[in-house]
Amino acid sequence: MDNFLIAILAGAALASLAAPLGCFVIWRRMAYFGDGLSHSALLGVAFSMAFNIASEIAILIVGIGFAAFLVFLQSRRILATDTLLGLLAHATLAIGILAMSLLGADHIDMHDYLLGSVASITPDNAIYIIITSLICLMGLIKLWPGLLLMVTSEDLAQAEGVNVRYHEAALMIAMALLVAASIQLVGILLITSLLIIPASCARLVSKSPESMALTAGLMGMSCVVIGMLVSRETSLDPGPVIVAIMVCLFIGLLSLRLISGKPKV
Amino acid sequence: MTTLIEGIDICLTRQERTILSNVSLKIDSGDFITLIGPNGAGKSMLLKTLLGLIKPDSGRVIRKDGLRIGFVPESLNIDPTLPLSVQRFLTLNANKDELDDEIIAETNITDLLDRQMTNLSGGERQRVLLARALHANPEILILDEPAQNLDMSGQLNLYALMEKIFELRKIAILMVSHDLHLVMSSTQKVVCLYEHICCSGEPQAVAKDPEFISLFGQDMARLLSVYPHAHDHSHDHDHEHDHNHNVAKENEHHHG
Repeated sequence: MDNFLIAILAGAALASLAAPLGCFVIWRRMAYFGDGLSHSALLGVAFSMAFNIASEIAILIVGIGFAAFLVFLQSRRILATDTLLGLLAHATLAIGILAMSLLGADHIDMHDYLLGSVASITPDNAIYIIITSLICLMGLIKLWPGLLLMVTSEDLAQAEGVNVRYHEAALMIAMALLVAASIQLVGILLITSLLIIPASCARLVSKSPESMALTAGLMGMSCVVIGMLVSRETSLDPGPVIVAIMVCLFIGLLSLRLISGKPKV
Repeated sequence: MTTLIEGIDICLTRQERTILSNVSLKIDSGDFITLIGPNGAGKSMLLKTLLGLIKPDSGRVIRKDGLRIGFVPESLNIDPTLPLSVQRFLTLNANKDELDDEIIAETNITDLLDRQMTNLSGGERQRVLLARALHANPEILILDEPAQNLDMSGQLNLYALMEKIFELRKIAILMVSHDLHLVMSSTQKVVCLYEHICCSGEPQAVAKDPEFISLFGQDMARLLSVYPHAHDHSHDHDHEHDHNHNVAKENEHHHG
């Protein structure tokens, strides 16, 4: 199969996972967590170079470590969560960039990691991305009712037999897997957009949680596919192109909503 | 009468602060118990321990095998970005998808079913939470500060509804409250908590208890004794005190 075609399939699979996951990110106000997690990915890339392991695995390990360290610091109540996130995100990004420079990565490498590069997606990468996305998506569907109840009240969910810690961990691991899988496509700086912009668009037109997740998935997939095609034709970086298309969609939907006189959702 | 939940000598410490010390509390079927106490007295923590949400540092919680609990949390934390109708919320994560018309009518939420959860008033939200709890066909309802954030008439309505449910469905009720005057006129038994159980029994008796008076002040105690309780007994009694109360024992003490 054509390399580009399979890369597009990988992009669509990624968007189909990112969108429902992104719904939870905005329902639970975790946008900054997603941002912090993706910043930590560069440190993962540096680890993978230093110890010669697959970057997906290194990024996943660093991501889970990032989440665990954050939970630990939160329990100590030293600083507010947004401060902790900002601190950890920039610390991991800075150390990651330094480590990569010291390990001899040149500017082109760094640029691809930060803003994405479709050309760097090999068929093997693409198949890994597709499989990871589908497994996470199935897990998300299975845990959906419990996760949804947890969004309304953690106490209520726990009292009704939902294992809140397990669900929370599953959500974080899915996000770490998504970050590891989507670096090549959109780059570290823009991964959060893949999560929250389709979900925000879908919010403007949805009446139930399921329709919001589904709509977000379809919108995300369309934007990614169109963005990848545009990126190939224009040789612009794929990450910024995809995000720009998503933002246009959001502005369009918001304008329609304002014109139709229903500013409040 | 069966024992539904029993906590024995529960101790709980958080960040080097004692939250609960040697608390024992038993809830039987047919009980309507209200936990009162000042802010930070550990009321919600005790409730969560009895529910099994928190593990006590020492002591035990025994629940009847297969006990069906209907829980009403203190608050919901639904972000406005979550589109969730009342109807969907009621069936969320439940075994069956159908709503029980009787419960819907009883809690008076028929007109709310199509509304969004984030557009409900405080009183409406509490009725929806109560309806959700009742759908579990519970043997006991556990409510954490259900009347918080409600205005006066909302509080009165909610307590009236809970009394109706208690009478009609014969469900045991355990709730936390700090609306003392309402508690005193509606509930059957009051347990006053401040790290340990200070006193417990019928509202009128508790209002005269020296520990209660020292906790809430003479004025509050005097104010409360103005509200006669529906099941007021004529017997006055002195209250014995140790810091290791067993509510079951107290129960016999009052009714035996």
